[in-house]
Amino acid sequence: MQIKLVYSIVLLFLWGNLRAQSVQTPTTPTTLQPSQFPQPPDTIGVNIPDEEKTPIELEEVIVRGDRKRNIQMKSAQNIVRVDKSYIEENFSGSLMQSLEKIPGVRAMTIGSGQSKPAIRGLGFNRMIVTENGIKHEGQQWGEDHGLEIDQFSVDEVEIVKGPGSLLYGSDAIGGAIQLRNNYIPTERTEGNINLYGRSNNESMGVSGQVAGRIDRWYYKVNATYMDYADYKVPTDSIQYYSYYIRLKDRRLRNTAGRDRNAGVTLGFLGKNFRSNLLISNINTRSGFFADAHGLEVRLSDINYDRSFRDIDLPYHSVNHFKLVNNSVWRIGSVTWEGNIAFQKNLREELSEPVSHGYMPVPPNPMERKFDKNTYTATTLLRMPVKDRLSLQGGFSMEHQHNKRGGWGFVIPDFRTTSVGMFVYGRYHISDDLILSTGVRADKVKIHIDSYRDWYETPDEHGNLVHKERAADLRKKFGSFTWSTGLNYQRGEWMLKANIGKSFRAPTPKELGSDGVNYHIFRYERGDYNLQAEEAYQMDMGISWQNSMMTIQWEPFLNYFPNYIYLNPTPEYYEGLQMYHYAQARVIRYGFETDIQLQLTRQFTLGMQSEYLYAEQLSGDKKGYSLPFSPPWSANFSIGYHPGRGFLGTDGDILLEYKVTGSQERIVPPEEKTEGYQLLNLSLGRSWQIRNNAMKLRLQIQNLLNKRYYDHTGFYRLIGIPEPGRNISVMFGFTF
Amino acid sequence: MIRKTLLCLAAVGLLLSCGREDDHDMEKPVIDMSGVSAFPLTCDIVYKGESFTFKAVFTDNGELGNYNIEIHNNFDHHSHSTDDVECEPDEKKTPVNPFVYNESFPIPQGVVSYEAEQSIYIPEDVDTGDYHFMIRLTDKAGWQQLKAVGIKVREQ
Repeated sequence: MQIKLVYSIVLLFLWGNLRAQSVQTPTTPTTLQPSQFPQPPDTIGVNIPDEEKTPIELEEVIVRGDRKRNIQMKSAQNIVRVDKSYIEENFSGSLMQSLEKIPGVRAMTIGSGQSKPAIRGLGFNRMIVTENGIKHEGQQWGEDHGLEIDQFSVDEVEIVKGPGSLLYGSDAIGGAIQLRNNYIPTERTEGNINLYGRSNNESMGVSGQVAGRIDRWYYKVNATYMDYADYKVPTDSIQYYSYYIRLKDRRLRNTAGRDRNAGVTLGFLGKNFRSNLLISNINTRSGFFADAHGLEVRLSDINYDRSFRDIDLPYHSVNHFKLVNNSVWRIGSVTWEGNIAFQKNLREELSEPVSHGYMPVPPNPMERKFDKNTYTATTLLRMPVKDRLSLQGGFSMEHQHNKRGGWGFVIPDFRTTSVGMFVYGRYHISDDLILSTGVRADKVKIHIDSYRDWYETPDEHGNLVHKERAADLRKKFGSFTWSTGLNYQRGEWMLKANIGKSFRAPTPKELGSDGVNYHIFRYERGDYNLQAEEAYQMDMGISWQNSMMTIQWEPFLNYFPNYIYLNPTPEYYEGLQMYHYAQARVIRYGFETDIQLQLTRQFTLGMQSEYLYAEQLSGDKKGYSLPFSPPWSANFSIGYHPGRGFLGTDGDILLEYKVTGSQERIVPPEEKTEGYQLLNLSLGRSWQIRNNAMKLRLQIQNLLNKRYYDHTGFYRLIGIPEPGRNISVMFGFTF
Repeated sequence: MIRKTLLCLAAVGLLLSCGREDDHDMEKPVIDMSGVSAFPLTCDIVYKGESFTFKAVFTDNGELGNYNIEIHNNFDHHSHSTDDVECEPDEKKTPVNPFVYNESFPIPQGVVSYEAEQSIYIPEDVDTGDYHFMIRLTDKAGWQQLKAVGIKVREQ
């Protein structure tokens, strides 16, 4: 009730402002492109000027403010778009950490070199990552799963905050992070090389790209190598369950890792037909903190302190292979698009074999192995129907096969097949008012295979049996989702509103698990009768901008009639606390703000903030929040662009002050997390030497070497602080 | 105009931030082994072919759930007690017939304080040496508290 009231007040208030403002503001020139659709899953826009945009040409062509506004007018949803230079300027240990400054976007860190994404507190299977229009498939349900993406290879990132099921089907409840490798080379031979160094985990990285275009054909080849040591924390020991784990040289034992990535793109650019083939392979390996794997503290005979750079047990390694083809064909005003892809994600988790309960000492360190193959095909048709109305329709199919191995059981083998169809229309009532609406139908079929323990356990009669941990199961989920919204702009104001429904099919783990999760030492029981999770979300985006200032406010209200959560019960089973998958009604709301102020030609001020509230409205945990809810945070920055002197014509210095609130609203088994404040400093400049360009950026993160905890981090539950002071250097050379 | 917008944003922010008072359980249950009769404590010795009595006081702010006692060997010195004080371990050795105990016990419904008392028998034929005595306790809300005590099983 209270929430409704607040929103009514807000709406009224802002509408009042809007009306008052619209009377006297002069209209700013806008370049509206009526045939554009929101967040097209392809790499190529519809109209010709947009198509020709390459990151290089862009800088010369378009006035900054208007370009931003054009992107915003493309969709009724809240979208943020950043390019390669943004990633380079904010470069951090992993892609999501580099993007974390974007309000509403979070990196759930797994040590210093890996992280998984979350949008407005929704991560795991509640948001999706796409690369060139294809959903990226790893083991995203897992807490220790990092995103396997080479951040050097990304040319553009577009983040949709809010329901994305219309375009992507299942899982895109919280939104979508769309990555594109859409840079098209302009020269016969060109390329760049980047060198990266980071002091905290003594990381060293090198990445290079060579590309070229010969008439209608082009190619791109890229490779990245990164290696990092155990990261440093500003503490001598870690206290876990009143036990002190002493750290040598303030290093977090065995958190070193390395990445080896490579990719090749071949492309053809015809007059009405274009196509590209991308082959990429990402290979990462990183260690887990040695003294407490999962939630159990363990000592070991391995001499972890021998070297800071080696990767001992426990560690995980992931190899992600991808083959993607994107094609676009234009016949008159009709555009056809087709994407096909194959992904193979092989993930292995290794740890020292130990006995537990009735499980004897396993024969090898292969604790868990997942081999997941995903085949995706999507097709899309776009056409203008009338002057002001354009339509697009799409069809998508995905087949997945996940096979497990190793002595630790978490999820059974499964196969899923999903098909979806959607129609989406956009109607320009006037140049300044656009209405969009779409519907989608999905069908998801899940087939789980039975799994039995490899060792024997006595049953209730005392007979030794190989217990069945997952039963054979076939399930079908159907869903009908929709979305409708509007874009409006008037003078300096812009308003967006969108309401939509999204869904996700339960994961095989949620449906079929029945056993010990050795990672967290708890007994997890799935529920075959879970329904597909649904969510309704209302989003708004209000922005005001003039030549000096941009203010943006993006509130949202989100309701789940049946949120799937893992409920810790007071019961014990086989000596471990029993957790059940259950469904509850959940409400979530919050907002993000972004204010940019151009004080003078030299000085800019910025303020970004985010706030999220979540509450379970029914079930066993009624009144509690949701797990992994990020606390509020605000980021204040001051930028100095002298335009001359040692920083050159385009150099800058940026000082940031980040305040993060405490998280008191937790749910078992979480720990409350105290708030913290951080100072970050960044400076960079570039040089132009004939046709070559050099870039240098220096970042100092956590300048004051503050000890703090990240509420959503993988190591939070065992009380491990985040990395201390860190100096990183990025050097880029473009030829 | 700018000032007005900022004020408006601030007001909305404040309104949204005013959360309700949380009335649900946010506290873990407590395993209290400070009493004179609490048993076993770090380095306590228990004997083969005999029973000993586990004694502790459990409390919670809301309602207690269940508890579990698990005893496993620490012949490989794989881990440690949750106490600051470690007791001097015996030589490392390979288990032959280690003592394994894993039982869960209910706590009467609706109580916030419970004096747990449980007799545990150690068979005659098990290995002597370092063992871990693990106490796990839940409350109704699903919070769990752990306590691990390093004990020794000895020949009588």
